Amino acid sequence: MEDRLRSIEGEALEAIEKAQDKEAIEGLKVRYLGRKGVLTSILKGLGTLPKEERPKIGKLANQVKVKIEKAIKERLKALEKSAGPRLIKGFDPTLPGRALPLGHSHPITQILDEVCSVFEKLGFSAAQGPEIELDFYNFEALNIPPDHPARDMQDTFYVDNKVLLRTHTSPIQIRTMEQMRPPIRIIAPGKVYRCDSDITHTPMFHQVEGLMVDENVSFAHLKGILTHFAQEIFHRDTKVRFRPSFFPFTEPSAEIDIQCVMCRGEGCRVCSHTGWLEVLGAGLVHPAVFRHVGIDPEKYSGFAFGLGIERIAMLKYGINDIRLFYDNDMRFLSQF
Amino acid sequence: MLVPSSWLRQLVSVQADDNELADALTLVGLEVEAVEPAYPWLVNSQVARISRVETLDEQKHISLCTVETKDGEVKVVCGAPNVKEGMLTAYVPPGTEMPDGKEVKEATIYGKESSGMLASECELLLEGDASGIFDVSLRFPDAKIGQSIGEITGIEDTVFEIGITPNRPDCLSILGVAREAAAIFDSKVKPPEIELDDSQPLEGVEISIEDPDLCTRYVGAAIEGVEVAPSPGWLARRLLACGVRPINNIVDVTNYVLLELGQPLHAFDLDTLAGPAIVVRQARKGEKITTLDGKERELLEGMLLICDKDRPVAVAGVMGGFDTEVTEKTRNVLIESAWFAPSSIRRTAKALKLPTEASYRFERGVDPLIQKKAALRACQLILELAGGTFSGVKDENPVPFKPVKVTYRPERINRLLGTTIPAAEMAKILKALEFSVEEIDQETFQAVPPSFRADIKAEEDILEEVARCHGFAKIPTASPVATLIVQRPESFRPFMDSVRKHLTSQGMSEIISYSFIGPKELAALNLPEGDERSKAVRLMNPLAEDQSIMRTTLVPCMLSTISRNIRRRNLSLSIFELGAVFIDRGEGVIPAEYQRCCLSMTGKRFPESWAWPDKEVDFFDLKGVIENLLSLLNCNKASFTPSSLCESFYEDGTQLDIHVGDGLIGTVGQVKQEVAKSFNIPQKVFLADLSLENLSRASSSQKRFVPLDRFPSVERDLAIILDDSVRAQDVLAFIEKSGIEELVCFYIFDVYRGKQVPKGKKSLGIHFVYRSKDRTLSEEDVERLHSPLQESILSEFKGSLRS
Repeated sequence: MEDRLRSIEGEALEAIEKAQDKEAIEGLKVRYLGRKGVLTSILKGLGTLPKEERPKIGKLANQVKVKIEKAIKERLKALEKSAGPRLIKGFDPTLPGRALPLGHSHPITQILDEVCSVFEKLGFSAAQGPEIELDFYNFEALNIPPDHPARDMQDTFYVDNKVLLRTHTSPIQIRTMEQMRPPIRIIAPGKVYRCDSDITHTPMFHQVEGLMVDENVSFAHLKGILTHFAQEIFHRDTKVRFRPSFFPFTEPSAEIDIQCVMCRGEGCRVCSHTGWLEVLGAGLVHPAVFRHVGIDPEKYSGFAFGLGIERIAMLKYGINDIRLFYDNDMRFLSQF
Repeated sequence: MLVPSSWLRQLVSVQADDNELADALTLVGLEVEAVEPAYPWLVNSQVARISRVETLDEQKHISLCTVETKDGEVKVVCGAPNVKEGMLTAYVPPGTEMPDGKEVKEATIYGKESSGMLASECELLLEGDASGIFDVSLRFPDAKIGQSIGEITGIEDTVFEIGITPNRPDCLSILGVAREAAAIFDSKVKPPEIELDDSQPLEGVEISIEDPDLCTRYVGAAIEGVEVAPSPGWLARRLLACGVRPINNIVDVTNYVLLELGQPLHAFDLDTLAGPAIVVRQARKGEKITTLDGKERELLEGMLLICDKDRPVAVAGVMGGFDTEVTEKTRNVLIESAWFAPSSIRRTAKALKLPTEASYRFERGVDPLIQKKAALRACQLILELAGGTFSGVKDENPVPFKPVKVTYRPERINRLLGTTIPAAEMAKILKALEFSVEEIDQETFQAVPPSFRADIKAEEDILEEVARCHGFAKIPTASPVATLIVQRPESFRPFMDSVRKHLTSQGMSEIISYSFIGPKELAALNLPEGDERSKAVRLMNPLAEDQSIMRTTLVPCMLSTISRNIRRRNLSLSIFELGAVFIDRGEGVIPAEYQRCCLSMTGKRFPESWAWPDKEVDFFDLKGVIENLLSLLNCNKASFTPSSLCESFYEDGTQLDIHVGDGLIGTVGQVKQEVAKSFNIPQKVFLADLSLENLSRASSSQKRFVPLDRFPSVERDLAIILDDSVRAQDVLAFIEKSGIEELVCFYIFDVYRGKQVPKGKKSLGIHFVYRSKDRTLSEEDVERLHSPLQESILSEFKGSLRS
């Protein structure tokens, strides 16, 4: 009897190990453990054995039963694991989700928001001005008199002799200072216009103007604020370079370069092999501008800055043709 | 400004290499935008060996040469008589721009493909033979295949491309850049030496200045017996490196001195000047002149002219006259070196649309003390290159130069910069820039800028000089201690941001289009006569006709964008634009500027997918977006009413006017088919046009909480058959007016027209929800409320129950 049990055990375990699906296992289960199964009938037939053998065989039979049950369980688990996830008829969860079509704000808007929010966190508040401006605000009050060669820096769309499309957001400085007294901290985004159109220029583009006027504002502060800005917008470790330049309404004037975001300063096509990218114009407010709006330049000082949003967007997103922004192709807009 | 390194180093000695020099100049404000080879054609062309010669045309010496280059064999058709097998010559690859401005191209000559050219020394602007191709081994026996011609001849140079800002006309010359380099590197400039006798008077030429305000100085110098010829290679190469095309030795010298010293010069053929005399005066009405470029130009009254005894011979500071220019026949030359008032020259050059190297410098201001030196420098070079004898110089200077004195306070400069630069250091910086500096008292100094620095007028200008020469990098980086500011300027941006957010959250995408449009696009809307939106602002100088007026409505921009997208097979669009429109208010006045929002939907409602029904958008998709927008903006009492005064661009009967309270916010409708067609849009377009100002006024920030209901509701459905002309809105308004307190909610759940209702009728399904605030309503309670309501609806709208 003992031998028989041993051979049942060996046979069953081997068959379980070889079973390839759930049905086969079920079959084996019935065959060995079922009501009419091999083991069951042995256990049932214990009574026919001599009295002294019964406990021994009974114990052994139970051990074999437990072993087979365990093997079945393990085999089932292994089969389940190798069979992969369960399938439900008529339900395929791998179909793409029912995603509602998304709305996108324009990439220029997104960068404008990002830029403005850096300054708004520093207590600069939003200001605005008209897009069609008087020559006075666009030029004269900014220390650019008629017939000044500095007017060539900006090709102007004229409406008539006195009215033009603003060429920069700087007139907002003047309009703000006419209405507010120092301390002033504003950030003014907006559309500006210049007669220029090619792969790097569109006749309309966006600028952000900033202005801070208070007692004792210095060039060192300008450097501090704008370095912070460049590092917030690009990268915390972005290297920033301040370089003398010229704007009639600031003195000293500076252009601010960041280390090229493409080549990290190694020199590439994007940065014309200089390793630097110009991103901002800035400077201390020219005393002549203060005098135009009746602020005493002996008491107050300030800095102003301006930057082109398209350029920042192109650098951040790797866009190579500025005209894409105003083409409004959905395939473009839906990328942002 | 293009500055060849070798020329710069001739005027100032600097140890730094070209890249260090470029960086240093950039950091004092002369931005070096590029550092490039000065003679690119000499870098590109290389020593090559002719390995085989195959004659194509014996008489014309045309042959097909097989040429061994550094990059392998090429075939070149050549017309030089001296080609021979085994010869080392100069090979110029295709794509190279030659000194004459022409690009070497791949070509088929005599039926043979020719890749590049074999060049003569003359063609390469080298001193040497023009009769045949460059026989390299004759002059350079050690030359090897593949070496560049620049390398073997040693004629190599770098050119700095420098962006000169309008305040620094003094740097529009090699000398000016040299001065900056000298200041940076603690060196001294070495201006070219002039050996001519500057006291020898010029006889026989009268010079009179009628307008000393516009011409403060006029120097004339003459040379007799010159021989006009092409300039030598070194001169021609330098001019070319600076972007100036060589013409002849006389004209080239005037250009050379212009580049070197920054003083524009003009050379007259002295024998063509009537008198000979020079009269500087303003143009009279109707005067004309034919300029050097052969064009006859009408002069405007007041333009400054150089005239001889009889007629204008040059537009002062802009361009010389054709009749008096130096030609091959010229023997005697008069050199003009003058100072003209910047704004006068600028106006003239602009009016004539004739910007030149000369006008560019005059309108920015040239050094008022350099005229005589420049004239003599030119004469000296002419004597060297074209022979002749110097016949003297005349210097008319009715308004002598007066230097300005500028006081500055070192303490204030330090305060504004955030630095602690000692006063002595500031003085040192200024002296290096050729200022003279004097201490007035402990706090105040006086600086006198050199004559070429007309940009220095006040303390802030001194501050800038100190800052840039001290170095921006050395100024500390600090955070300001700032006052909190409560007062805020006016800004519409936060409101626009919230509208944008509410629209994108509903799946609409933002577009930004140009503010200028074409009159054609505006006309396509068929606006009625007298409509305010016909009063568009016109640009005086548009880039193109289709960008010539400022938009008075966003609608054309929207339709153009849709059209462009459809052309590119983006057929389904849900887009909006937020932006300004402009209405003309007359000359000299800023136009009215309004902020508007235009929304549009067209094409499929959902992206093509297994998950969505394939349905086109309709009117109610867009209306729903606006309803949501109004609700998100908390616009109470918004209403949509069918408009009796329809916009010309909507299909008749599709337009609703959107009101909040009494204010008109905008309109929504379906774009008229013919309007869409004129924008090449073949599909249905739904559009809404809103005033952001009115919307912002209607939007409120107040919200009130309504307590949640605690008792169960009882619901009723009503299906009534109504005449098709009955408007849903009227039915809903009627129910609303019934004022039943327990009727907490009702809505249309079904609209049906078709087989099951008679023609001309529709069935409206309305769902009613009744609920009391303080008890559970019984069926009877509801019946008591609902039955009379149902009856009154049926009688009001002449409806019947749908069975």
